[in-house]
Amino acid sequence: MNDQTPAPASSPRHQHILDRLSNVILSARIWDNPLAKLLLCLLGAVFFFFVISVPLTLGQQVVFGVICFACALVLRKTQGRLATIVMIMLSITASIRYMFWRLTETIWFDNAADLFFGTGLVLAELYALTVLLIGYFQTAWPLRRKPAPLPNAIQDWPSVDVFITTYNEPLHVVKQTVYTAQTLDWPADKINVYLLDDGRREAFKAFAEEVGVHYITRPDNQHAKAGNLNNALDLTSGEYIAVFDCDHVPTRSFLQISMGWFLKDKKLAMLQTPHFFFSPDPFEKNLKTFRVIPNEGELFYGVVQDGNDLWNATFFCGSCAVFKRDALVSIGGVATETVTEDAHTALKLNRAGYNTAYLAIPQAAGLATESLSAHIGQRIRWARGMAQIGRVDNPLLGKGLNFAQRLCYFNALMHFFYGLPRLIFLTAPLAYLFFGAHVFIASASMIAAFALPHLMHASITNSRMQGRFRHSFWNEVYESVLAWYIMRPVLTAFFINPKAGGFNVTAKGGLIEKSYFDWGIARPYIILLLLNLAGIAIGIGQLLFNSHADVGTLIINLLWTVYNIMMCAASLAVASESRQIRSNPRVEAQLQATLMFADGKTIACQTTDFSQEGLGLRIPVDLPIQLGDPVQVSLYLNNDEGTFPAVVAFRHQQQLGLRLDQLSVPQQVEFARLTFARADNWAPSWGHTTPDTPLMALKSVLLIGMRGMGILGTHMLDIFRPSKRTSSNESH
Amino acid sequence: MNILCFTSAKGGVGKSTVTANLSMALAKAGQRVLTLDLDPQNALRFHQGIPLSVEAGIAPCTLRQTSWLEACFECTPTLYALPYGVVSEEEREAFEEQLSHDESWLNRGLSQMEAALGPDTWVVIDTPPGPSIYMRHALSNAHTVMVVTLPDAASYATLPTMESLIQKYCLPREDFVDYGIIINQLDYSRQLSKDVAQVIRERYGPRIAGLIHRDQYVCEALAYDQSVLDYAPYSQAAQDFIECADAIQANFTLSRISP
Repeated sequence: MNDQTPAPASSPRHQHILDRLSNVILSARIWDNPLAKLLLCLLGAVFFFFVISVPLTLGQQVVFGVICFACALVLRKTQGRLATIVMIMLSITASIRYMFWRLTETIWFDNAADLFFGTGLVLAELYALTVLLIGYFQTAWPLRRKPAPLPNAIQDWPSVDVFITTYNEPLHVVKQTVYTAQTLDWPADKINVYLLDDGRREAFKAFAEEVGVHYITRPDNQHAKAGNLNNALDLTSGEYIAVFDCDHVPTRSFLQISMGWFLKDKKLAMLQTPHFFFSPDPFEKNLKTFRVIPNEGELFYGVVQDGNDLWNATFFCGSCAVFKRDALVSIGGVATETVTEDAHTALKLNRAGYNTAYLAIPQAAGLATESLSAHIGQRIRWARGMAQIGRVDNPLLGKGLNFAQRLCYFNALMHFFYGLPRLIFLTAPLAYLFFGAHVFIASASMIAAFALPHLMHASITNSRMQGRFRHSFWNEVYESVLAWYIMRPVLTAFFINPKAGGFNVTAKGGLIEKSYFDWGIARPYIILLLLNLAGIAIGIGQLLFNSHADVGTLIINLLWTVYNIMMCAASLAVASESRQIRSNPRVEAQLQATLMFADGKTIACQTTDFSQEGLGLRIPVDLPIQLGDPVQVSLYLNNDEGTFPAVVAFRHQQQLGLRLDQLSVPQQVEFARLTFARADNWAPSWGHTTPDTPLMALKSVLLIGMRGMGILGTHMLDIFRPSKRTSSNESH
Repeated sequence: MNILCFTSAKGGVGKSTVTANLSMALAKAGQRVLTLDLDPQNALRFHQGIPLSVEAGIAPCTLRQTSWLEACFECTPTLYALPYGVVSEEEREAFEEQLSHDESWLNRGLSQMEAALGPDTWVVIDTPPGPSIYMRHALSNAHTVMVVTLPDAASYATLPTMESLIQKYCLPREDFVDYGIIINQLDYSRQLSKDVAQVIRERYGPRIAGLIHRDQYVCEALAYDQSVLDYAPYSQAAQDFIECADAIQANFTLSRISP
């Protein structure tokens, strides 16, 4: 495999031939004839059946696999969507051929242990295959919608209510969102900002009055955020509603970018924009991969939602979205039946015949969860909510959806069932190593000849389709960390009681005052790791001392176990919480700035970062600046300039840190306008991490796994000292 | 030659400072620049490092009918200066009397300089504030006029006076390019400064050729006989002069209409 060359590099000649070919195929008259279309599909189906089912000897299967994979490697170097589609086709062929062989040739259980472990593995594999196939369908052709222009006549622009929901978040988190909401570029008589405080806090009410936004609260917290939004829905009247979590700061262009589609598409009920985070999530913080490796959420906003959009099945994600009021009211407001009110609301809108849309331009940014335990808590809620939807309003059933919409929603739901299958994959080889269970009746070479094409095609195809937003092997890392935790809530909510469990608000804006290893959270990874290490020991022992051992099968199981150890060890590294002392994360940004000293001298310089409370500056010369010096600092936006009082809080050679000094409310709004609300803040970082290549990704996961082992080693003694154990300690 | 004239209807707006520093910025941008001080205060030379003992200038040269080249001072290899010169009160009156009758005086003098310095030279003329015989000559020859103003109410109120002069002496001429506004000593930490700048911006829009921040480095540079570009190149004012010089070259020159 040549993994070192970036995928999009392609010779124009290839592209030319493929483009021409696809045009020729697509423009053929035959597609206008429904009968011919049906016949072609049937013919394709017959061929496909042969390709997946014809039995081949080991040699033949190897040759077939190598030829197919060689084709995929050539296609991988070719640009264009046709090449992607053909790669998907090859991958589907390899995978279904594998599964056909797997189901027809490799299942034969001699005893109860074989039956138990063997069935478990087959079911897990079937689950993974289903998600892979629906995933291909869902994301094969991302719509990549562009913003629609607004009419020139501003009097034709509709009125918008901006809802900012808060429950228990600190005021300083909410302030920034309110300030930036006030800078939204929209006619002043057609926009109203509402702070929806479910915490009934006097300080919030006073703040809203001081800055001049509306304040809404209610006597109870029924239905949590959904209830909060619905309460405000009854009390307001704007034609459209923009919804923001209190820690998502919009850019000033949010409405101008997102409103156009509503005027163009009268059936459009909801438009979602990406959730972008300016602070690292626990994976990025603890593994130091911020802006280097795409985070867990980026696949969804970068690929999945854009794919959903093609099928008119974009989900609402709770924040950074716009609703058409009529449509939302007609389905009874935001859905309250599940704890994922957002996805369920979109489902209901789609069922009611409305359109939903996705615009992949980050026009708001927020705080990521700061600790792994909080992150897991949030994912548990999502997983439980999606399972609840599966139980109370299953997208495969009921009225109003077309087939593609059903598949998109179903896959979103299915996705959260990965807990159990992932745990099966993480322990499957142990069944053989520990108990000698034969879960797979085939020779090692046959397994390799069938399974490797399945895995390798899926890997390079997904790398091409998702590489900007999810690096190879990282899916396994994210799933391994969460599998144990989301398994039970999902299975409980789906199979036993959909009402079990409440709505937990995701904690934001907290601090981790000193680094620690979260033993409580890490327990499942440690157990899995130890089991797999034991498996390795037993396997090597068999290899060395058992002359009757089936060497091929042992080696396959050992390699698989090593891979699992890497995943468990990487999960351990995530549980090692690094320090986060800054309550207001900094955003790196090089902005033009002017620094004015008390004696009237000024310096032209650039910012290195900004936060809610201050600025980092790089000054061009070493000047005698003292800590505590009062200064004025100017920031610019096009022709506009804002000047703010500050004091020097940090100094190291030419790097300065300024702390803003007692800004008035208008100054705070202006500071927000010149920093967080800049239209071009977030888009440049969107999908621009290091490009994915499977081998480099494998290396990075391996290194992180080794670090995880190191962390475990250094903390090893603490295991035996229970008093030292600190589990999920949230500090607020 | 690009003849660039700095004017203001009101005194004390820092016009000589702007003229000197912008000339230096143009010179540093690779242009050959000649400054011409038409203000009897003869103060531009203080910004250019010309020794106090130098008495030569265009006024004495004109009165004695000698070549302007004799008074030309080389500040840097690409920046030349023609001071007003030291004259007595009677001489000044005689000089002004002469100018009031001799419409082509400036044109002839500049032709001499063009022959010596080359046709690509920028001539940057400093004028006394308000209407005067000097300003009339300068405006009658300029290709580009820059009106310097402070972001305060009084300066803003005098802008129409300058515009009417430009209307009279410049706009009818075919070789006139355009006029621009330079806001000097801008300070956004003061609400009034900010508001007036906003009003000027709304009224004049693309006519605004430069915004120069209030900066103590400018005054200090003068005390050290230097331009602020040399004295504190990292200062915001130096940066502003460089940007303003770029804007003038890009948007306010003959090459804009006849590339």
